[in-house]
Amino acid sequence: MRAGWLLLLAATTAQAAPPLSQAEAGAWLQKMADAARRTAYEGVFVARQGDSMQTLSISNRPAGQGNESRLMALDGTPREVRCSQTGAVTVIADGNQIKIEKRLSRRYFPELLPADTQALVGLYEVRLGDTARVAGLDCRNVEILPRDAFRWGYVLCAEKESGLPLKAVIIDGEHAPLMQYTFAEVKLASSGNPMKPLARTARLPEVPEPARRLDTEQIVATALPPGYVRIAAVKRRLPNTTGEVEHWVFSDGLTHISLFLTPSGKPVDSVRGQSTHGMVNLMRRQVGEFQATVLGDAPWAAVETIALGLEPR
Amino acid sequence: MNTVTQHHEHHHEDDSLSALLDGELTDQGARLAIRQMVNDSVRQARFSDYCAIGDLMRGHHHDLPGLTRKVMAALAEEPTLLAPVRKPPERRPLLWLAAATCAAITWGLWNAAPRQDNVLPLAALPTMAHPPADVMPYLAAHQDYAQAVLTAPEMRFTRVSLGGEAR
Repeated sequence: MRAGWLLLLAATTAQAAPPLSQAEAGAWLQKMADAARRTAYEGVFVARQGDSMQTLSISNRPAGQGNESRLMALDGTPREVRCSQTGAVTVIADGNQIKIEKRLSRRYFPELLPADTQALVGLYEVRLGDTARVAGLDCRNVEILPRDAFRWGYVLCAEKESGLPLKAVIIDGEHAPLMQYTFAEVKLASSGNPMKPLARTARLPEVPEPARRLDTEQIVATALPPGYVRIAAVKRRLPNTTGEVEHWVFSDGLTHISLFLTPSGKPVDSVRGQSTHGMVNLMRRQVGEFQATVLGDAPWAAVETIALGLEPR
Repeated sequence: MNTVTQHHEHHHEDDSLSALLDGELTDQGARLAIRQMVNDSVRQARFSDYCAIGDLMRGHHHDLPGLTRKVMAALAEEPTLLAPVRKPPERRPLLWLAAATCAAITWGLWNAAPRQDNVLPLAALPTMAHPPADVMPYLAAHQDYAQAVLTAPEMRFTRVSLGGEAR
């Protein structure tokens, strides 16, 4: 009986690791963000969401003030993401053709944290967890837990020396995993073992810009969840469609929510969408003369707040 | 004891009236039930109520004067059955501990399971048979801000009502 109580007490104590001070939290977050960009590394990681799994290889090199990286899907349709200081493109093998699309942003494991993490400490509390071993390297779990219901939480396992996230688990409010990335193998550069620059393949053809600036705005977002700001507002073509739509993006630095505005004279039904494992939420509704589609890897509360706050200007 | 006997007789009468209505009696049984009813005003009233209740359930009758009062009176006449008193179980701390552990594990698993249904303050209607096909390009475009080369997720859709708000 006494042993049971001690076990329970130990479990409770382990769960209730105190949150770090804002200064300590900021230091841990910045160390992990910098390591993902400024460390040279190569490896293979597995992305897992529910029952689906994908294996990708990644190479990263510091370059100038930023970094260059290349991700390659090792299963399914051959596709690759190449990121440089000037932008990012997706290269997809489609039958005998190669499709190249410019990306509006770059975000991937292990580069999940923003370059500047200062704003995150007000929105998330940071706790240090246990040490672990991933891909043969020792790491320390760092829990990044939201202070409200408008964002998912993250648990990153930071490599002992460099701080490079070797594992990332995105969790919901109940701490249930929504998505997981784990290095299966990874090689870090060291002073005695520098890595060669990324191999340059054949020069990519010119890719048209996918987006242009908005001329005027006819819709206004009257309500945003705490900490979210608009980080992009462009006119763009959607993949495999004709015509342009407005694409706005709201973010707190870690979570991104898109708003697409499409002219629509005929009122549309209001629709709620949710991905099979609950990570992605979507709401579509009519706002003035536009069909508004709000979606993101964010809790329903955040998507709903933005969608219901849209009004004709 | 006398009350219980009377109730038993009433139940037998009720069964025969009910069987008569449902056509479950033999010709001979039906004739007997009708003959008894002709000479008994109480049975006639009960049979009338049964017919009315049947009509009501089939949606054929909209005006049943005094039905509620009669039903409540019938319920009041029903004998009250008391559950037999159980012997209090012996205190067995180990079993309690095991039960508490099982409950704690179940609660933990329940909380750990991914929740598919969030609270929706909007009036939600059943899942749409035909999801809006034009949503997929939006999901694909959002991938620029999602996590690199993963494909757009599978989605399920529900039509929602915004509760009188201008759409």
